[in-house]
Amino acid sequence: MTEGVPQNAGYLLAAYIAVPAILIAYAVSLYRRSKKL
Amino acid sequence: MSLAQKGRWVALAGLALLGGVYVRALAFTPIERFQGPAQKIFYVHVPAAVTTELAVILVGLAGAFFLFLRDPRLDRFAEASAEVGTVFAAIVLVTGPIWGKPVWGTWWTWDARLTSTLFLFFLLIGYQVLRGAVADPGLRARYCAVLGICAVVLVGFVHMSVYLFPTLHPQPIVIRPGKPALPPEMLITLLMSFGVFLILYAGFVMQRYAIAEQRVGATHD
Repeated sequence: MTEGVPQNAGYLLAAYIAVPAILIAYAVSLYRRSKKL
Repeated sequence: MSLAQKGRWVALAGLALLGGVYVRALAFTPIERFQGPAQKIFYVHVPAAVTTELAVILVGLAGAFFLFLRDPRLDRFAEASAEVGTVFAAIVLVTGPIWGKPVWGTWWTWDARLTSTLFLFFLLIGYQVLRGAVADPGLRARYCAVLGICAVVLVGFVHMSVYLFPTLHPQPIVIRPGKPALPPEMLITLLMSFGVFLILYAGFVMQRYAIAEQRVGATHD
């Protein structure tokens, strides 16, 4: 069934890790800035 | 509960729901035959792009209304929306090349859509720099309102760029004249992800707006 389908799940994994990493980094940044004030 | 705390809960809910989108995308959405699993990057790339466009349109609208009403809350909202829009634009610019490498064979190409999106990201960075550079709050709000309105024009160009200069980047398959050109299983996953990105946008803007309000309070003290 997967015959001929490109095997590139590593790229998917990289993107699916990068997105929450950016979002969590920003959430932490917002939290730290609100605590500083 | 303060606005910042509410925003934190909304953003946390958004992050948890993003996990649900991943489950849906990985386990319950078919693999596209020609692009393979990497096509599923689409479910984070496109909602992040649409949310960026929405964030910038709201910056422009808040700026336009600010120029007439001079309500500082509009300026604070524009400030919050622009920063959150920058974060989503960063997601677009990170996930796009990760998809481009296996599908196009290159991380980056100076295609009209990619170049204009990068330019939009730089414009949003410039918006933050401008906010930091002008000390007078009234002047800062006016300058930023004008820049925000200019950014909306660029968003229009970003969206139309695939029609005006059709090269590598695919044309819109959801926000386009006529019905979305996507099988229902894929469309549902995409719409779910878009909903989650809207929740994240709302949660982040609430927190960032609260920070802007706290800063005004701290300046007055």
